[in-house]
Amino acid sequence: MTATPILELRGIDKSFGPVQVLHDVAFSVYPGEVTALVGDNGAGKSTLVKCIGGIHPIDAGEYFIEGEPVHVHSPRDAAGYGVEIVYQDLALCDNLDIVQNMFLGRERKSGLVLDEATMEEMAAKTLDGLSVRTVQSIRQLVSSLSGGQRQTVAIAKAVLWNSKIVILDEPTAALGVAQTAQVLELVRRLADNGLAVVLISHNMNDVFAVSDRIAALYLGRMAAQLKTSDITHAQIVELITSGRSGDLGLQNGNGAKA
Amino acid sequence: MRAGPSPEEIRRHNLGTLLRHVHLGGPASRAVLADRMGLNRSTIMALTAELTGAGLVREELPKDTGRAGRPSLVVRPESDRVYVLAFDVGVDRLIAARVGLGGTVLDRREMVRPREGFELADVVGVLAGFARQMVRKTQSDTVCVGAGAAFCGMVRRSDGMVRFGPNIGWVDEAFGTELSRRLGLGLPVSVDNDANLGALAEHERGAGVGCDNLIYLHGDVGIGGGIIVGGRLLGGEGGYGGEVGHMVVKPVGGLACGCGSHGCLEAEVGERALLAAAERSPELIGREAVRSVVDAADRGDIAARDALHQVGDWLGIGVANLVNIFNPGLVIFGGTLREIYLGSAAQVRSRMATNVLAVSRERVRLRTPALGDDATLVGAAELAFSEVLTNPLEVLARATA
Repeated sequence: MTATPILELRGIDKSFGPVQVLHDVAFSVYPGEVTALVGDNGAGKSTLVKCIGGIHPIDAGEYFIEGEPVHVHSPRDAAGYGVEIVYQDLALCDNLDIVQNMFLGRERKSGLVLDEATMEEMAAKTLDGLSVRTVQSIRQLVSSLSGGQRQTVAIAKAVLWNSKIVILDEPTAALGVAQTAQVLELVRRLADNGLAVVLISHNMNDVFAVSDRIAALYLGRMAAQLKTSDITHAQIVELITSGRSGDLGLQNGNGAKA
Repeated sequence: MRAGPSPEEIRRHNLGTLLRHVHLGGPASRAVLADRMGLNRSTIMALTAELTGAGLVREELPKDTGRAGRPSLVVRPESDRVYVLAFDVGVDRLIAARVGLGGTVLDRREMVRPREGFELADVVGVLAGFARQMVRKTQSDTVCVGAGAAFCGMVRRSDGMVRFGPNIGWVDEAFGTELSRRLGLGLPVSVDNDANLGALAEHERGAGVGCDNLIYLHGDVGIGGGIIVGGRLLGGEGGYGGEVGHMVVKPVGGLACGCGSHGCLEAEVGERALLAAAERSPELIGREAVRSVVDAADRGDIAARDALHQVGDWLGIGVANLVNIFNPGLVIFGGTLREIYLGSAAQVRSRMATNVLAVSRERVRLRTPALGDDATLVGAAELAFSEVLTNPLEVLARATA
């Protein structure tokens, strides 16, 4: 439970034309913790993540990395600060093997040729560090992997780059129970290894199983950000559906803070 | 009255400590060992020389370190040569394994058991048979330095007597002695409760490394518990402590428990409660049946989901009580509780948020076992290794004699 967040957003506004999607959003992420980002469809989860990842420029607000104000204008900027995002659709290439996918677009070279040995070693080390034992060979084509294994490769790809913050968009959405369990354990291990993890999920069991904090968005506003140990399922559902729960959350109907 | 430990005792202690470091931490250079043990390098050299001479460890030049200077030799456990036999007796499965020094599983045999007819002679016969098969396959220079078993019941540690196994109908069966006799290796078999050993294994090799206050909960047919306080396993007067499954949570109107009581935690959370609440036919039993309920709940089966929520709520109540009493840093859900926890975490943690005292819940982490389904088996292996790690040279001399 570190005092300074590794990533902190304050007063983020974002509009698409006349539609304001994010209103004065504050969001903090801590190293060694899983922060779950929850909210109904259209609450602004994906937009917020894309702002963090530099895909959408923010209209107003401040962005801090380890307490230092920074400007993030592109995904490359975000990656430079150690932010990696794993999207729901995974974006892996079926016709390439695991190593090729993990280094796609950032291949290691020795002289003019690709340094296959080093890449293989780094990929193996990363998978090993995550205690991934489900893949048989790292030279296996991604098309031959199960949904859970693909998710694992996508997560390992994000971790490979000395990233500090890994954002996972619905990593268990398309998986069966056994694979979900493996991915959840992997998510937990990332944080236990010291990374800051942001988990977007609609599944409250997944959220409660692995998260340390829960941030609930409601209609583009941050309704509350709380420790998971201090909140019940019923309260979170109320925050998601109405933006408030008792003393928690937004204190009047239009969402402005009282 | 004595002034202090003799040089001989200190040496034995240091040998054991060094071996333990290599056994648990994996291969390490002399320099690293010197640092970890707080001894100087020449002492480390003398100790490793003795252990090498006995054939417990070997020293090798490290692969390219990429640094300048003469590299420090790496001390490795002789995993292929020195091993123990580990057994795991669950209600539905019997496992035997040959585990090398350093914790590598070298060989294993497993059998799914039918529920009926849990006779001592049958169980011991199967395990001893597995052990003989595995021992026969070993090279002639290998040496077995111990045997340990995890058992799903209450065990007297001094002689491995199973005092009470509520879910298998055993009362006072001389399991340890009998298994030792049937093995015929001249080795006693150390036996302990499976959840205790799961706790030990996760503490030494799993999710609980570095956490000295943890609770391991093991779901089989019932619920077992292993509690580590201040780095030590809580045994109690007779070693029967930690039976969290028989914590009474619903004395009035509670379900009947295998122990003869009503409203025990395991009666509300165990396999029977889950399967009955999910309206599964009585023929379906075991881990697979529990997992199928969790799976069905995920796919939208309402009866399964309600059953899982109900069981999760009771599990949360049990864990809340334990956290209030022991203030652990970590609670690990093993066996079938892994799936049950992951499938009902919202209920478990809601109960904890409501019922655990705020200061006690500040630091508690909830995890699944890093060793997975093997936690109890690994614990049995660690139990078997404990003697050689306390007194390496004598135990080895005895084993090779």
